[in-house]
Amino acid sequence: MNGIEHALEYWYPIAMHNELSNGQTRRARLLEKELLLSGGANDSLTVTCNERPLALQSAFDHWWVTLSENPLPLFTIPEADEAERRFVPCGVVRVACSPLRAVENFLDIAHFPFVHTDVLGAEPHTEVYKYDVKIDESKDEVIASNIRFYQPQAAKSAEGGIETEYIYRVPAPMVAILYKTCPQKADAMDVIALFVQPLDEQTCDVWPWMALYDDTSTMADLIQFQQLIFLQDRSILENQIPRKLPLDPGLEIPTRADLTSISYRRWLKKRGAYYGALENC
Amino acid sequence: MTTQPVGLSIDLAPQQVMRAIDGQYDMAVWRSTSGVVSAWENRCPHRGMRLSYGFVRGESLACAYHGWHYSCEGYCHYIPAHPELTPPKTVRPVLYSVVEQSGLIWVNTEQDAMPVALPDDLQPVRSLVIECDLATAVQALDTRQPHGGVESLSDTPKIITFETGGISQGAVVAIQQSQPNRLIVHMLVQSAVTAKDKIALSRLIESVRRQAESACNEAT
Ligand code: FES
Ligand SMILES: [Fe+2]
Repeated sequence: MNGIEHALEYWYPIAMHNELSNGQTRRARLLEKELLLSGGANDSLTVTCNERPLALQSAFDHWWVTLSENPLPLFTIPEADEAERRFVPCGVVRVACSPLRAVENFLDIAHFPFVHTDVLGAEPHTEVYKYDVKIDESKDEVIASNIRFYQPQAAKSAEGGIETEYIYRVPAPMVAILYKTCPQKADAMDVIALFVQPLDEQTCDVWPWMALYDDTSTMADLIQFQQLIFLQDRSILENQIPRKLPLDPGLEIPTRADLTSISYRRWLKKRGAYYGALENC
Repeated sequence: MTTQPVGLSIDLAPQQVMRAIDGQYDMAVWRSTSGVVSAWENRCPHRGMRLSYGFVRGESLACAYHGWHYSCEGYCHYIPAHPELTPPKTVRPVLYSVVEQSGLIWVNTEQDAMPVALPDDLQPVRSLVIECDLATAVQALDTRQPHGGVESLSDTPKIITFETGGISQGAVVAIQQSQPNRLIVHMLVQSAVTAKDKIALSRLIESVRRQAESACNEAT
């Protein structure tokens, strides 16, 4: 059992809005199945698997697809309805790693000074202060809060270093959302999400998406900033071994800074989300 | 388990890290600032990052992902996320036995490294990868001998002395069988030879590679 039955219950990002023009087609892979995407009139899309049309819905500037007849509901991001925000779909990055490793890396702050040096972190500001993690029972989500970290350039719009506050949400095994201090608007938080499309247990396409308060940067600059960050992450993700995520402690040794990762792994295990995880580990 | 030559000493300067593969063993081999060489399993005990992507600080190897520092004995002694914490002794990658001798770095992943005895005064020429099996590579080397077959000093790892036209002392070739069809050939030369001779040897081993790889491609 590699957890594929469990993974099939969810919705996954498959394309950005307006990515395919009318009549344009593209192949895609999801959970080891081959899909065909076809753009239609008025920015519509159809997705088929062995000629069977799949259920689709549109959310957060992406098309979401499911292989299930009876899927779980798609998670929500209330900030997606806030009209003053800039919504930035950042394109797609292919990563040769488990989809779960991609999510876990997104939840990690201790790597900022070493992987995103002088942007999201810098020595000697490496300490990860105590923060809180809980499982929100009503939504069945992992929530990490009260995270503070010093960042030299927290966002495209930041001028100089600031202490940034973070909150993380994991609403589905292959989705992570973070809220962080907005450099341009004191009382608001920017939203950055990572939507992961699992091609198989060891390969994924990652679709970053942002909902920001930033009225100065160009769209191209915002996308480029996020892509640069994610390419730095990819150089790590493709060199973690084993490629699948171990769920039980033993093979990998965490510390207090890894509380989010520890809770994420437990939460995956509890719900049987083994797709992309190491068997018996 | 045999002791494998994984590289020329000269190619691993202080503060450098390299990756070596020996069959199913993936290793990080690194040299501290003072010159100590270590060979470890290529996996950080924290979150599995390959340690060969790490960086050397003083007498420590730091992992590229979260910067955990490991001493030459392998113990983690600094976790940047918790600067005050003394990590438990259990945070340690698997260590392999490593010895430097005759200008080569030798590793044994299962027991103490015992290098093959080689002539004194070897000087490094270069290392290069040949994508073929051992027999084909040895055959290709053989055809370059002006006076008959290569002389074997050792079979596992394959170490042969190799006569070369014009260079009186000949060369030593230590072949590391990294993967079934991936050899790493480390070439050294006896006694003092000129820079020009070294260039000639380097060209020669390149042409051996071309010959061996095309023979191998034809066979498959
Ligand atoms: S994986 Fe090496 S320090 Fe975290
Ligand atoms: Fe990152």
